[in-house]
Amino acid sequence: MFVGTEQLTHVYMPGTPFSTKALRDISFSFQKGEFALIIGPSGSGKSTLIQHLNGLLRPTSGRVIFEGKNIGRDKRDLLHLRRRIGLVFQMPEEQFFSETVFDEIAFAPRNQGFAENEVKIRVDEALEKTGLKGLDLKGRHPFQLSAGQKRLVAVAAVLSVNPEVLILDEPTVALDNTGRDNLFDLLTELNREEGLTVIISTHHLDEAAALASSVLVLKQGELVMSGPAEDIFSERDQLYNLGLALPPVNEIMHGIFEKGFSVNTSVYTLKEARREINKLIRRDKP
Amino acid sequence: MSGQSSIIIEAKNVDFLYSGEWETVTPAVSGISFTVRQGEYVALVGPNGSGKTTLLKLFNALLIPSAGEVLVKGISTVNEGMLPEIRRSCGMIFQNPDNQLVATTVEEDIAFGLENLALPSEEIKKRVLEAAATLGLEKLLKHPPHLLSGGEKQRVAIAGVLVMEPDCILMDEPTAMLDPAGRHAVLEAVQQLHRERGIAVVHVTHFPEEAAGADRVAVLSEGRLVVDGSPEDVMTGLPLLHDLGLRGTTAVELASMLRQDGYPLPPKILHDRELVDSLCSLEQNS
Repeated sequence: MFVGTEQLTHVYMPGTPFSTKALRDISFSFQKGEFALIIGPSGSGKSTLIQHLNGLLRPTSGRVIFEGKNIGRDKRDLLHLRRRIGLVFQMPEEQFFSETVFDEIAFAPRNQGFAENEVKIRVDEALEKTGLKGLDLKGRHPFQLSAGQKRLVAVAAVLSVNPEVLILDEPTVALDNTGRDNLFDLLTELNREEGLTVIISTHHLDEAAALASSVLVLKQGELVMSGPAEDIFSERDQLYNLGLALPPVNEIMHGIFEKGFSVNTSVYTLKEARREINKLIRRDKP
Repeated sequence: MSGQSSIIIEAKNVDFLYSGEWETVTPAVSGISFTVRQGEYVALVGPNGSGKTTLLKLFNALLIPSAGEVLVKGISTVNEGMLPEIRRSCGMIFQNPDNQLVATTVEEDIAFGLENLALPSEEIKKRVLEAAATLGLEKLLKHPPHLLSGGEKQRVAIAGVLVMEPDCILMDEPTAMLDPAGRHAVLEAVQQLHRERGIAVVHVTHFPEEAAGADRVAVLSEGRLVVDGSPEDVMTGLPLLHDLGLRGTTAVELASMLRQDGYPLPPKILHDRELVDSLCSLEQNS
């Protein structure tokens, strides 16, 4: 097991009247190099689970595993763990605290104790990876940037310690199309070219569905479905009952199928839909 | 809506510049002339940073134009004495539901704006119950708002606007942070208020499917109004939308690809259903 949990349970404010069981008995594992999705309605425990994966929360019971080992309680272990597993929070730009883009991205490598010349190299590399290098943003205040650029700076701030696993909590919330496209281009490249394991929580499957290898579905703190992406997405009715929606293009393919045409409905991108519709309509032609 | 409906909001050649140490001198919006008539549902679309939120805030005097004028039911928003009336007439729903809930119970939160109108408590109670019933919140009246789901919180915020008997609801990406079920419930609720009570709506959104459901779509780019027309015209105008980094609905995008492949699809296909029907009749006739 590369990353995963064994019978993980998390209770917020245990022993008080506000005690809430946010996760119950969750067991799963992701392989190295996967593009994994954690989906589920609001309040299903996605963010809680994600925070366990880099040791921000401690299990009430059960274990969190990284590279076959239980994530330790030792502080030095955790510092080391967070260098290897990077986490980008929901709306991360709301937590910017530095005066310049450079300092924002340099925070993590400085915190990890790198020398200033190494920090500078790390910042440049992170800007390069996120496609921000040519824009000369280093000296600017983070709040001066566009929404899409801010989100990429937040990702760069995590990439600056060269993690092997990148976890993002609802990464596309409030971004426009260009911002979403840029972010997903980056995640695809990090996953495919650099071999990073990418784990995303989301309820917008539009861009993510076509990239996913594994999917976990949470509902009220329980793992209700898990497995290869194509198996999970084929359970359309069950997802619908959970209040989750497949990408709109999938609805169109199902619409055609429901009218009695035998079209492939495992389609999550416009390109695939175009190909399948061409197959359907041209099929009978001489 | 017909030309005779009375005007709720009228922007006349409006500029707005943010002042502050990091802001550039480019205006956030410039030269905007725009009207919203009684009972109209207008979608405002545009890339991040195009001025959508700024314009919305100008419409209920959260911002005052740097040049030009905004009139709400004929009253200029520079008229400080009329602010309560302007904001009663045009209520605002923000993107993040957590930023607009203030009281300790849903009931008190819905009543918050009303309490300032010095109405008899019987009248307040009546209006709160009525708004809660309209938005399906009857069972949640005694609940603390912070424990509700995102979709419920947004409906509480809408109920808080509804009790003021508004002419217009201004919404800034109200569904961006919601899961599909919450998003659906909020959109249904707003559509119903629009249909049944003739309340005008100005809805800022990044979702092409939401814009396609409006009576009118206005597109902003770099602070300027670039096009304003019916969804059938605006949302099918792909060259312009793509130029601005925007998208048409999935049906529009897919129909455009299939036309390039030589399929004789009717122009102005906007919704999934229209595309599915057109494709099925093509297949039947082939």
